[in-house]
Amino acid sequence: MSFKEIIDKVVADGAAYCDIRKEHWNKTSLTLKDGVPEMVAQGEEEGAMVRVFYGNGWGCVGTNDLDDIQETANRALTMAKKSARYKESETDLADIEINQDKIKIPMKEDFRDISAEEKLSFLKELEYNLSKNFVKSTDIRYRDSLVEKEIITSEGTHIQMEIPRLVAYLIVTGKSDTIQRASEGTGGTGGYEITEKTLDKTNVVLDRLETLLEASTPPSGKMPLIMDPHLAGVFSHEAFGHAAEGDLVASDNSCLKGKLGEKVASDIVTIKDDPTMEGYGSFPYDDEGTKTRNRVLVKEGTLNDFILDRENAWKLDLEPNGGARAEDFRVKPLVRMSNTIMEPGDMKFEELLEEIKGRGVYAKASSGGQVSPAQGTFQFNAQESYLIEDGEIVKPLRDVSFNGFTLDTLQNITGITDKLETGIGHCGKGQTAPVSDGAGHVLVSEVMVGGRE
Amino acid sequence: MSEKLIESAKEIIGKLKGRGLDGDVFGVNCRNVEYGIKKGELTDSSEYDDVGLGIRVLKDGKLGFGFCTPGYEEKGVKQAVEFSKVSQKIDLKFPEEEHVPKVETFDSKIEQVISEGKGADFTQELIDGCVSYAEDITPTMGGVEIYLGSEIVANTNGVLLEKKRTAMLGSVMATIPGEKTSITASEKEVSKKSDIDFKNVGERSAEKVDSMRNEVTLPEGDIPVMLESRSLNQLLGFGLIPSFNGENVRKGKSVYSDKLGEDVAHSHLTLKDDPTQDWGIGSSPFDDEGVVSRTLEFISHGILKGFMYDLKEAHKSETESTGNAIRANFKSPPDISERNLVLRGKDTPREELLPDGGILVDDIMGAHTANPASGDFSIVATPVWLIENGEKKGRIEGVMLSGNLPELLKTIQLADDYKKTYMSLGGRSLKLDTPSARVDDVIVSGK
Repeated sequence: MSFKEIIDKVVADGAAYCDIRKEHWNKTSLTLKDGVPEMVAQGEEEGAMVRVFYGNGWGCVGTNDLDDIQETANRALTMAKKSARYKESETDLADIEINQDKIKIPMKEDFRDISAEEKLSFLKELEYNLSKNFVKSTDIRYRDSLVEKEIITSEGTHIQMEIPRLVAYLIVTGKSDTIQRASEGTGGTGGYEITEKTLDKTNVVLDRLETLLEASTPPSGKMPLIMDPHLAGVFSHEAFGHAAEGDLVASDNSCLKGKLGEKVASDIVTIKDDPTMEGYGSFPYDDEGTKTRNRVLVKEGTLNDFILDRENAWKLDLEPNGGARAEDFRVKPLVRMSNTIMEPGDMKFEELLEEIKGRGVYAKASSGGQVSPAQGTFQFNAQESYLIEDGEIVKPLRDVSFNGFTLDTLQNITGITDKLETGIGHCGKGQTAPVSDGAGHVLVSEVMVGGRE
Repeated sequence: MSEKLIESAKEIIGKLKGRGLDGDVFGVNCRNVEYGIKKGELTDSSEYDDVGLGIRVLKDGKLGFGFCTPGYEEKGVKQAVEFSKVSQKIDLKFPEEEHVPKVETFDSKIEQVISEGKGADFTQELIDGCVSYAEDITPTMGGVEIYLGSEIVANTNGVLLEKKRTAMLGSVMATIPGEKTSITASEKEVSKKSDIDFKNVGERSAEKVDSMRNEVTLPEGDIPVMLESRSLNQLLGFGLIPSFNGENVRKGKSVYSDKLGEDVAHSHLTLKDDPTQDWGIGSSPFDDEGVVSRTLEFISHGILKGFMYDLKEAHKSETESTGNAIRANFKSPPDISERNLVLRGKDTPREELLPDGGILVDDIMGAHTANPASGDFSIVATPVWLIENGEKKGRIEGVMLSGNLPELLKTIQLADDYKKTYMSLGGRSLKLDTPSARVDDVIVSGK
């Protein structure tokens, strides 16, 4: 039976909706630790997920055994029927345009044509550039993946896509009185040409590590903070972007619930999530077959839109905008971000510095963080930071963390510089999604800095 | 369930031997089932089956890796051989056949739970438990996860081992809506057996959030701190355990490099990795390279005793594998990891340890930002309660904790409420058996 026939049978058996998403993955990973190839792996896999919507319930079953999709569909229908017994509130899918399209994101240089030896020589070149006397250890990671997807729905949508992605990470460790670590990543949607950007990052991580090795522990207390574009990008993604995910909004798990059209940030703040721009988190159709578009989430301080899949768009009475993404065929699509950008402003970095009277912190790049979209709180750690006193950068700091309420912090943004820089990341929400984020330098008038002094 | 997988593994080993190569195969055949709660209702039901094999090949002394699904064995072997060309030279010796201990990891009742779709009923029990507590408390997130799987390891030395595992998890985030921000608290229970009282997990989540209605302020001065096991677990996992990784030790990236045999913790404290513990969340009879499980003491009565190794790192560090090779899935080569972490020591009844005038920390944010090399951490604690006369006196917002994990081990006091659990954060998953603990040597700051 063809996928179309299987879908038709599920619908004939009473389902309101059914889709099948088939994926074929081709992946390569190389890791060079201290100059030694530690993990070299290559493989292909394929599988499919069948989603069935019956009554108000969902049943989603993934498999990597493509020989028996009919059985997989039967299981999904059984699961949806049982789920519907417990689901009292009405649910539906917001309408989308029925799309039939075949699209291939081009690779200028196809990474499948580059031999493993050549990829490894590139990593060795990076390693050579990172070999400095203050570097105790290096860890260089390269990953490329090409996914061929086919999405077929009971409504007639049929999308075929090829999406190539490439990412490389540089991690260096050094030791003074404590052990310090610096990292940088580059990546994008495209081919081997993306690696050109990686070479430029070697100096960035080396400078960062050298700075950290002579850095002091930070002060604690409330103070002004300048975030560099990478940290401000991560802030836009983590603290704000997650709260703008339609599933969290519709299920009362977001501090942005009920705030559409309200002021949630200072006037100079505009935040978008745009899967159609160039970036590591780009894709032309989402995993429900909805054509993607730019989502302006905050427009000059006012909450303007959410990131939406079809079900949550229906619940919130809004238009689906291509927000459904699944890590692979094993899992169902969730509402996810793509390329999240806080639009640049009109200030210069020096002007931001001049705004700081007394003590403040300049924090660069993120070393992780965690957020609670429901409570609207966040906690981040910066990789590299500096103490500012009366508009002057005084000394480097390490292990700086800061936290606060997202909405207060967005209102406290008083300056953004005019140059956008973007970074890449892997967003976790039970599933991993490749994303990018970016901003200019951003001044926050007050945030809680946690230190050890 | 695993016949197809075993046949496939045998075929791969045959192909390797036919080419005169050494190697091993790690195969997985599993089913993961998930039911999700949103806004007080069961909203999502999903499951996936995964079958696949990871292949390692030693060719000309170089180790290559590939993966495949059954039916594509030849392609998998070819990729592993191809990739061995760019790999490092390493004189890796795969394990020989040896006696495998019996470890309880499989509850056949879970097969029935899956086949009868009982996960949906359990999810409703979680919801019922939570909503029955108070009218304004709703389970806004959470659900039930069920795992049933078989894993095999085979190698060219004739080893062919199979382990079957089951697990269930129930979690609820209970919410009280608020004007500016909601108040939330969560509860989770994990077990290898079908023995979770889901209604009780729901009730506990509601009881917890109910105790957070009143906000109080952080006391002045030095504040004693009690960490619930899940907060302690995260700090241990991200700020301490990386220092027991043999590779970090060899490369000088561990605070414990060169400290073997020294006093590093309070004399009552023992921290060990024990994958032989029956029904331990991370227990199993052998690791993902087929090395037989045994108990590994990291710290025994305060003294640093050992580090963890897989086959590759053991070779580099000129020691033996401790059976600490773990694979995230069949597509990943093994990596060094703790398996079933157990923290023990002189314990005190929990009620006696609760600090009068101090704080109780239920959960923390940002543990994965702890410096894995130094053990320094600076994190947000939430939810936090002020404790007076052994009672929760209201929640405190905006609490930050900072300190150093290896230093904390020197003064930590353990409670007697040991709990087996699992957590996944920042790309890592931890399986542990630990109690809550009193840690007074942390810096507490507030808003």
